[in-house]
Amino acid sequence: MTYKISLRSHQQPSYSSVPPLVFSLSLFLSLSLSLSLSLSLSVSLSICRSLSLSLAVSFFLSLPVSATLGLSFSLSLSLCLSLSLSLCLSVCLSVWFLWRFRFLMYLQEYEARAGKAGSGGTSPTQPQHGRRKNLDFEPLSTTALILEDRPSNLPAKPVEEAQRHRQEYDEMVAEAKKRELKEAQRKRKEMKERFKQEDSIANAMVVWNHDILPNWDNMRNTRRVRELWWQGLPPNVRGKVWSLAIGNELNITPELYDIFLSRAKERWRSFSETGSEADDGASLADRESSLDLIKLDISRTFPPLFIFQKGGPYHDLLHSVLGAYTCYRPDVGYVQGMSFIAAVLILNLDEADAFIAFANLLNKPCQLAFFRVDHDLMLKYFAAFEVFFEENLPRLFNHFQNSNLTPDLYLIDWIFTLYSKSLPLDVACRVWDVFCRDGEEFLFRTGLGILRLYEDVLLQMDFIHSAQFLTRLPEDIDSDRLFACIAAMPMLNGNKKWSQVSSSKHKKTGK
Amino acid sequence: MIMMWFCLCPLFQVLVIGDLGVGKTSIIKRYVHQTYSTNYRATIGVDFALKVLNWDSETVRLQLWDIAGQERFGNMTRVYYREAMGAFIVFDVTRPTTFEAITKWKEDLDSKLMLTNRESIATVLLANKCDQGREVLTNNGVKMDQFCKDNGFVGWFKTSAKENTNISEAANFLVKHIMATENDFLKSVVPDTISPKLNDSQPGTCSACYKS
Repeated sequence: MTYKISLRSHQQPSYSSVPPLVFSLSLFLSLSLSLSLSLSLSVSLSICRSLSLSLAVSFFLSLPVSATLGLSFSLSLSLCLSLSLSLCLSVCLSVWFLWRFRFLMYLQEYEARAGKAGSGGTSPTQPQHGRRKNLDFEPLSTTALILEDRPSNLPAKPVEEAQRHRQEYDEMVAEAKKRELKEAQRKRKEMKERFKQEDSIANAMVVWNHDILPNWDNMRNTRRVRELWWQGLPPNVRGKVWSLAIGNELNITPELYDIFLSRAKERWRSFSETGSEADDGASLADRESSLDLIKLDISRTFPPLFIFQKGGPYHDLLHSVLGAYTCYRPDVGYVQGMSFIAAVLILNLDEADAFIAFANLLNKPCQLAFFRVDHDLMLKYFAAFEVFFEENLPRLFNHFQNSNLTPDLYLIDWIFTLYSKSLPLDVACRVWDVFCRDGEEFLFRTGLGILRLYEDVLLQMDFIHSAQFLTRLPEDIDSDRLFACIAAMPMLNGNKKWSQVSSSKHKKTGK
Repeated sequence: MIMMWFCLCPLFQVLVIGDLGVGKTSIIKRYVHQTYSTNYRATIGVDFALKVLNWDSETVRLQLWDIAGQERFGNMTRVYYREAMGAFIVFDVTRPTTFEAITKWKEDLDSKLMLTNRESIATVLLANKCDQGREVLTNNGVKMDQFCKDNGFVGWFKTSAKENTNISEAANFLVKHIMATENDFLKSVVPDTISPKLNDSQPGTCSACYKS
């Protein structure tokens, strides 16, 4: 017995190797042709002969009677001949039919033989039956376990063994069926979960659209809204809520954006005309190189999404927003990391709104400190972070201190990109949601949440592995588990809050 | 991973610096993971990689520090130069400005970092993206050799992370120089010291081991 895994739709045995058929066909044709040819030849010959005979007789006797006699004779002869011709034809036809019939028989025989070769030594009808039976208890999938009999050239196996194999086979099929049932159940459960999730998103969307957004100023700080906010914003109100929460302290209007955009475009034009390395003083060269940098960085922003790359749908948009910003804030210019922030905003907001949110977001004290690369101020933020790190995760804090892993090594990447580079995009967006609610404190709290989530793993790692791990977080990070860890990080040092700790650090620098 | 913890084999911190987008991350990915992709994201701050090498029947670990290229980050990332034992300075053969920036990167490195014997750390120059066929800059090998001599590079290589040209050769070259300076350093320091710690670490290992 052999088991064969094969596709359910069995291929018909092929008839490609039928030279004997062709041979017999051609033989039959040639035979019939030669027969009919010889017949017609003999007929015409006999007619000629009979005619000449009758003519000779009538001429010899010179009698009309004899002539008519001869004529009638010849006529009868030709009649007889034509009769024999038709007979011959009918014989031919019947022979042809017979041949054809034989041909069919041959085909059938061949088919049967081919079937036998494919399925072992039993009679040609039986495997057909067996296979049909197999199909009946085949599992749902396209691949199935097919019970095949032992090839005919091998000795038959004992009955016991055959029985055992059949039993094994049945068990295997039953197992496969069970597995598929389980898989189907799992899928159903997954779908149910997804529907539930979609329902809750739809419900939240209704609440946000009908209750919260129309009464934004009154409701934004209520407990209910804050709780709903923590659970993540529904994707289609996300942009709106971000915009409202970030605000527009800078009073930027879409018209202003257009002005800066046209200025940026003008600069690109002159930039491409004069060539990239025009040296009209240091400041201009610096600014131009900043345009150069934007071009280089855009293609390196969320590359797996293929929407910001050259030819992608948002390539020009990202270019415009970043270019306009360098014209709006030449004192800040373009700094790496900005492309990630602008990209996330573009994914959730219209062009002008994305620019307004971008400019206002970068104007927040923490972002300004980082994007101006104010090293002293950055160190103060890191120091404040360390206070809460030590408070909440003393074991990991000590471990990191022992292996010389300072927080700047991972916080720089996290804060500059607001986690959009190191976390999966959907998780990052959820971090942004609460960052818009709670401000800079939440960025550092998220950092602690990540360290809490992976504390056990990190405690086993040395410097280089921890550093590698933290700058490239696992891609399967679960947002619910992360947020549970973040929630478990109260930003309290003694009774001091984040703002108090960080401002005390800042004051120390002032002196 | 846990075994790495207790490994006493030599560990060298190697910096990879150079202008933005010259291919620092690509070179490291090629060297460490033998892969190449056009989909690398921009490096913010610093990224890390570890390469374990077999060197003369001894295991050597290279800690590669992939440092963000934007000049603006200089203040922030120069802190990381502190304990480096070797460096690659990378430029893009298709962009002349990245070549012009090399002297700036080298001066930067030398100003922040000197070995105890007052020499600068072993630094190799990499002319990356040589597969692009626009190697106007590096066609003159003699000139490049002179440039390296003038600027204190121990050598230079035409590299391509895309086509895996000269990457491991350049790395081996750098490791050779790091080992040589290490040995010189030990030789010069050991005779006039009685510290038992140094004597302990002398056979087979280097002074950098405890840095892990």
